Amino acid sequence: MRWALVELSLILVLSLLLVGSPQPILSANQGQTTQDTLSASPSQSERRAEGVTDSEILIGMSAAFTGASDSLGIELYRGAMAYFVEINRSGGVHGRKIILKAYDDGYQPDQAVKNTLKLMLEDRVFLLFDYVGTPTVTRVLPLLKKYDNLHFLLFFPFTGAQPQREPPYDTLAFNLRASYRQETEGLVKNFLALGRSRIAVFYQADAYGRSGWVGVREALARRNAKIVGEATYARGTKYTESLDRQVAILQEVNPEAIISIGAYAACAAFIRDARKAGLNVPIANVSFVGSESMLKLLIETSQEDGKDYTLNLVNSQVVPSYEDTSFPAVKEYRALMDTYDPMPPTDLVEADYQPLPYSFVSLEGFLNAKLLVEILKRLNGQLVRAQIAPTVEDIHDFDLGMGAPISFGTQRNQGSDAVYYTTVKDSRFIPIYDWKEWFK
Amino acid sequence: MRVAKLFQKTMFGIFLLFGLIAFSTSALCIYTVDKQLSDEYEANSRAIAQTIADSSIDIILTRDMSTLQSLIDQFKEIQGIKYIYIVNEESEILAHTFVPGVPKAIMASDWPDTGTAHRQLPGFGEFIEISSPILDGIAGWVHVGMDKGLIALKIQTAIGRQVYLISIIFIVSIVASFLLVNLAANPLRRLAGYAMHLAAPDAPTTLKPGEMQALLERNDEVGQLARLFLYLSKREAPASFSPPPSLPAVN
Repeated sequence: MRWALVELSLILVLSLLLVGSPQPILSANQGQTTQDTLSASPSQSERRAEGVTDSEILIGMSAAFTGASDSLGIELYRGAMAYFVEINRSGGVHGRKIILKAYDDGYQPDQAVKNTLKLMLEDRVFLLFDYVGTPTVTRVLPLLKKYDNLHFLLFFPFTGAQPQREPPYDTLAFNLRASYRQETEGLVKNFLALGRSRIAVFYQADAYGRSGWVGVREALARRNAKIVGEATYARGTKYTESLDRQVAILQEVNPEAIISIGAYAACAAFIRDARKAGLNVPIANVSFVGSESMLKLLIETSQEDGKDYTLNLVNSQVVPSYEDTSFPAVKEYRALMDTYDPMPPTDLVEADYQPLPYSFVSLEGFLNAKLLVEILKRLNGQLVRAQIAPTVEDIHDFDLGMGAPISFGTQRNQGSDAVYYTTVKDSRFIPIYDWKEWFK
Repeated sequence: MRVAKLFQKTMFGIFLLFGLIAFSTSALCIYTVDKQLSDEYEANSRAIAQTIADSSIDIILTRDMSTLQSLIDQFKEIQGIKYIYIVNEESEILAHTFVPGVPKAIMASDWPDTGTAHRQLPGFGEFIEISSPILDGIAGWVHVGMDKGLIALKIQTAIGRQVYLISIIFIVSIVASFLLVNLAANPLRRLAGYAMHLAAPDAPTTLKPGEMQALLERNDEVGQLARLFLYLSKREAPASFSPPPSLPAVN
């Protein structure tokens, strides 16, 4: 009896051991498959170290939420959050909610670097998203290079500059929007077609302004022309400041069109002072300017001065007009902005900030978020940083609902080449269908 | 209080001496600070120009001007560096830090400028400009402008501090010398009064009671003179001697 109990115990123990270890009961083929899956799937601790838990995906953002360009960061955030909130409410991506951790850099490169270090090393985000500005991004890129063993990627920065589109940093960032070169190429081409060959440039004295300046210079050079004059302003210039000196410099060269590469406060101040000085040639701004914020300032001053400062303006955009609801993405954007009207955390935004109901900037943020969610979905639960780039590069002719197909590849880190042109009519931006009114 | 006539020239001399010291030390200070700061800034600017020239070769060759701009913007934050610009081999400015625009004097430059040049740019100020070639000048030149105004400001600050210190020393010296002069002048004034009293005993005297005795009891040169005057007055005066009707007061 006693021996029988011992035998029974041994059998039970052996049975338990056999059940606990899968190898003996798996075929060789099955074992191989399981082993491969295990090595490809990140462990829970690995995922947590990469900003992913079973319930959340943490992504990081550094942008201008304060200062002279605050509207850019705030509206970009608002647009992105409108989509993220919707996704989170409908169950998230593979059951995980998207958490957007944002820091304010005030459009200052040094602060952007500090924020990025914090996001990468302290917050341990999954990826970086929706950064604002060329001078900030160009300083952050070397940081990503430094930590390239951690496979951090920057998604859809709000800048059309070249550094993150070309070696050695092209493998560290993915862009959705068209480049400044493409925007300025289109502006130059259209102005020259109108007989306006004397093109001057007004630009921000930093990497962003230089990027646009190069775009204009090269577009003109391809047509055997040159920039006839240039004036600059310091980053952070406020609308209340006078830009008469810049206007005087450009007036001297008698331009037939001016291409402006700046942020909304300074560009609006330049337009105001140019019109006051009688410089009434078309002034074109690129997408980064923050069109609605610029227009808002000009409309306010027009009402005060009894003079219309919104005439003869052309703005190039990298997303369609938010007024054109024939685009499915625009329709969805407007609906979600109306529903959620999200705002950044109160510690990031100054209390007196008046959000814009719709804007090109928030639409871009929305489209960025929409494409990011698509990428996260395509990761199929393989939420490790090293898997992201191949997944993005596999996107071809994807319809984001903005009228232009989105494609990436191993040699292509910019999804869209679409540039749209708008002008101001009745105090709002409308698409340009005919450039004839600017014929010289 | 008034300064005794005997010492007025001494006081004037002190003024002159202090003026000379203040002037000469200020001149030396200006020269030293100017020379040292200019040398230091020039050396820094040269190093910066060289660094930019070395690190911008790839950037220029890849035509990445926004990175080039970002590079020079970082160096512009260094104190004393007022502007940086880069020209290519065709004398075209590729990147610069000027606001509101590139000065006409720079646009009109006959590049390549080499080494060090002094520039006066209307509306901007005076500068020492250091130039450094990129790829031995084949790919262009880096120009770094050092603000002479900042050097002038630093000199002014140094001189200001020095003048402040000298002024304090001067005031203390004046007060001290005034007290010391009076220390010597008062016994002499009393001695003069005593001498006049001996010459004309009936005339009113400025000496207070007891001061004559105190003078005679002093064991210094003033006391010796007082006793000598007393001795001489007690000897019979020569027939031809007659005291003046009045003597001017001695201050």
